[in-house]
Amino acid sequence: MRFIKQHISIIFPLVAILLGLEFFIVFDRATKNYEESLRDGYAMLVVAKDEMSIDDFKAWDSHVYRVAEIEKESIVSRVDTTLNKDKVTTIHERMPNFYSIKLDSYLDDEGLEGVKQNFLKSDKVARVETFDTVHRSNYGLFSFIKFSFQTFIIFMSMLGFFLIIKQMEVWNYLHADRMKVMNIFGASLFLRSKVLINLAFIDAIISAMLASAIFYIIQNSWVRGSNIAILKDNIDKLFSAYDIFSLIMASIAIAMVAVFLVVINVKEE
Amino acid sequence: MSNIILARNLSLTYDNEEKIISDATFSVRKGEFVFITGPSGSGKSTLLKSFYGNLKPVEGKLIMGGLDMLTITKPKLQELRTHLGIVFQDYRLINEWTVERNVVLPLWIAGYSKEVQATQAKRLLHHVKLSGKEHKYPLELSGGEQQRVGVARALAKNPFLILADEPTGNLDEYSSNVIWDLLENACQQLDTTVVVVTHRIPTIFNIPYKHLQIDSKGKVHEVH
Ligand SMILES: Nc1ncnc2c1ncn2[C@@H]1O[C@H](COP(=O)(O)OP(=O)(O)OP(=O)(O)O)[C@@H](O)[C@H]1O
Ligand SMILES: [Mg+2]
Repeated sequence: MRFIKQHISIIFPLVAILLGLEFFIVFDRATKNYEESLRDGYAMLVVAKDEMSIDDFKAWDSHVYRVAEIEKESIVSRVDTTLNKDKVTTIHERMPNFYSIKLDSYLDDEGLEGVKQNFLKSDKVARVETFDTVHRSNYGLFSFIKFSFQTFIIFMSMLGFFLIIKQMEVWNYLHADRMKVMNIFGASLFLRSKVLINLAFIDAIISAMLASAIFYIIQNSWVRGSNIAILKDNIDKLFSAYDIFSLIMASIAIAMVAVFLVVINVKEE
Repeated sequence: MSNIILARNLSLTYDNEEKIISDATFSVRKGEFVFITGPSGSGKSTLLKSFYGNLKPVEGKLIMGGLDMLTITKPKLQELRTHLGIVFQDYRLINEWTVERNVVLPLWIAGYSKEVQATQAKRLLHHVKLSGKEHKYPLELSGGEQQRVGVARALAKNPFLILADEPTGNLDEYSSNVIWDLLENACQQLDTTVVVVTHRIPTIFNIPYKHLQIDSKGKVHEVH
């Protein structure tokens, strides 16, 4: 029983931290993807008096990523299909040029306004439409989810670290006597910490496996059954085999730092 | 270099305020058996601590096996300690290890094979009259038995110097006699230097010895 308790008390906080870490990685990956899709689905409309090239736009604002001219024919023909050729040509000449602008990242309201103002500085630009209400509602929900998740993750990891510090005190209490005796008999730092290293190493591996398993379960039952589009759409990007490796490495690193701190803090008396 | 321990005007203190040992000058020669006596709190354990490098001299010199204990480096101290056999007043066994593992701790540190450790454990436990208790844990033994494990551990690697702090402190006559016999033998047969702190020198002691006495002011006197 004591044996199990000893292991649980390090495995539990490690799993908490690893889940936090994995949530962070996965969420970052999912949001990047979601941001990309939001970005790709968004375009602002610019009405200009003269013909413009992409370089002109890029010179005004560095967020410009792609520029497409909206063909005048398609606009005119949508308005009226019965016009004769001459009239169409005159209309074309008098019409301003329409451009659909795609940006290189997903900007908030302020960012969009900034781009708009940059364009309007030029007297060649007559109007800019940012469609910011649609944009805002997408973005608002998205940032809210992102913020709540990050708060949760930070809270969980802090709790984990707090528990690990507690566990280090317990380790010190349980192992200091043995390490002091060994020290007096001339054992090296490595020999002195060997027992603790072995213990922490095994627990670190177990923790990484548990965290991976928990994530696998979350991915395959909860997310699939849930209605959170942002997660569902990215389900394949949630967790990869490479992550297991990262988790094991992170887990071992945290455990070894903890062990090292305990061992060097054992005072000679 | 026949002096194993050489103290010249040695002073020891824990907090730099009050000197526990002050201005002590004495020497211990190779193969000598030394008793250190003195009232409780006079600094006997403190003096032993300085011998195994747990307390640095604040004044004077302390040379152990040719090494200056004030300037000794960590690796050198570690090396020196593997050649000492220390018996503590409060046993200081590793309670989560079996008796067998405790006894061969110095061999384990020196990297001896499992087989060597096992044979040595058997031999040592036979010497301290604890055969058959190999797989017990220290807390399952009596005080006398634990201290005999402590003595076996100190003898495990044939140290050149044994430092024993009250090895027979609260033990019954049987355990005490076993321990005195072992220490006498080590000194006589293996030419091991033995320094023993005790509050009472045994009445029947078969080999010549030196007697250092610490008075209540921390002065060390050589009685004979
Ligand atoms: N770790 C320590 N820190 C500060 N003072 C200490 C420490 N250990 C011992 N002392 C003090 O040093 C003095 C000598 O202690 P020491 O343990 O050497 O006495 P001793 O002669 O071994 O006594 P005893 O016969 O009771 O074992 C005591 O006054 C004690 O309070
Ligand atoms: Mg003492």
